[in-house]
Amino acid sequence: MRLLKEYRIIVIAAICLVVGCTTPQPSQDLLAPTEAQMKIRSVQTRAFDVKDRQVGMRAVIAALQDLGFIIERANEHLGLVTAARFAEPNFYDVVGVTVTVRSETDGRMMIRANAIYNNKPIDDPKVYQNFFATLERSLFVTKH
Amino acid sequence: MNTSLHAIIQASRRPLIEWSLGPRIVLGVGLCLLLQGCPTPYELRHENQWDSREQIWLSDESQVRVRAAQSRIFDTADQHRMLATIVSTMQDLDFKVEVLDEELGIVSGKKYVENEQIYGVDLSYLLYQPDTLLVLNRSYRTWGPFHHRTNLVRFTATVRKRSDTQLIVRANAQFYLRAVEDPTPYQKFFRTLEQALFLQGKLVE
Repeated sequence: MRLLKEYRIIVIAAICLVVGCTTPQPSQDLLAPTEAQMKIRSVQTRAFDVKDRQVGMRAVIAALQDLGFIIERANEHLGLVTAARFAEPNFYDVVGVTVTVRSETDGRMMIRANAIYNNKPIDDPKVYQNFFATLERSLFVTKH
Repeated sequence: MNTSLHAIIQASRRPLIEWSLGPRIVLGVGLCLLLQGCPTPYELRHENQWDSREQIWLSDESQVRVRAAQSRIFDTADQHRMLATIVSTMQDLDFKVEVLDEELGIVSGKKYVENEQIYGVDLSYLLYQPDTLLVLNRSYRTWGPFHHRTNLVRFTATVRKRSDTQLIVRANAQFYLRAVEDPTPYQKFFRTLEQALFLQGKLVE
């Protein structure tokens, strides 16, 4: 009887292992935009009165450096900058950011930033407000 | 001579562990694995692809069908605009853009999806970049970037000229170190891209 009980536990454990260990399948929405991202898009984007894209790019790089980021790559022609840094207070976490600089037809520059905290996208508007405030300051310094 | 051979055969037939101990050991190992949490032994459930001959036949679906699902033709010759739109679409999808080559028409990025619990954060895994020499690391970790890749989605889009007025865009996604062969995620990606471009993509015949 005791042996039977032990066998039952083994079978249950084996089932649990088999169920838990299957390869995860990609979800159908793997490449679909989420509702949250659509909402945060306006917060991530801001227009600046800059005509030259190079000026915009330099300001973005300088702002990221001001915030302690290490620039990973910058593509002037397509207006893309990516950077990363360790996050405060313990510096055990990582913040990655992708910034795109796009010329608009009305002579303005659209700058969009996406930030990722470890493996999750940041959707707190304050983070982006802080970035754009630094960027404005950086643009001001670059201009004058 | 004959007796010693007989003794060896007898010894080999004898069980190494007494039978009554067997179930207890199995039970113990099973419980240990359960306590660890099953998602942990990644190496156990993900087969290593040692043999390149096996990799060639790894695709489960017909290559032609997968390729058709991954490709779209757009009636524009502006490669620059196409690449810029793909980058902004990838931003919409929370991707971090990692590789961008305008001449070759390649954009690549990665993102993480929440599919299972990961214990702790492995920074070298998050920071791992295949295309750069920059190592942003606090300490050297040997197991580092290759430990758990269950939540990593890698994405590559290529843009090339089809004719003087048309471009062909091909998107490739990888999840759990395997190519995504289901056409639905690609359909959703191209729908988002079409909306951003204000252009209708056509299937490759």
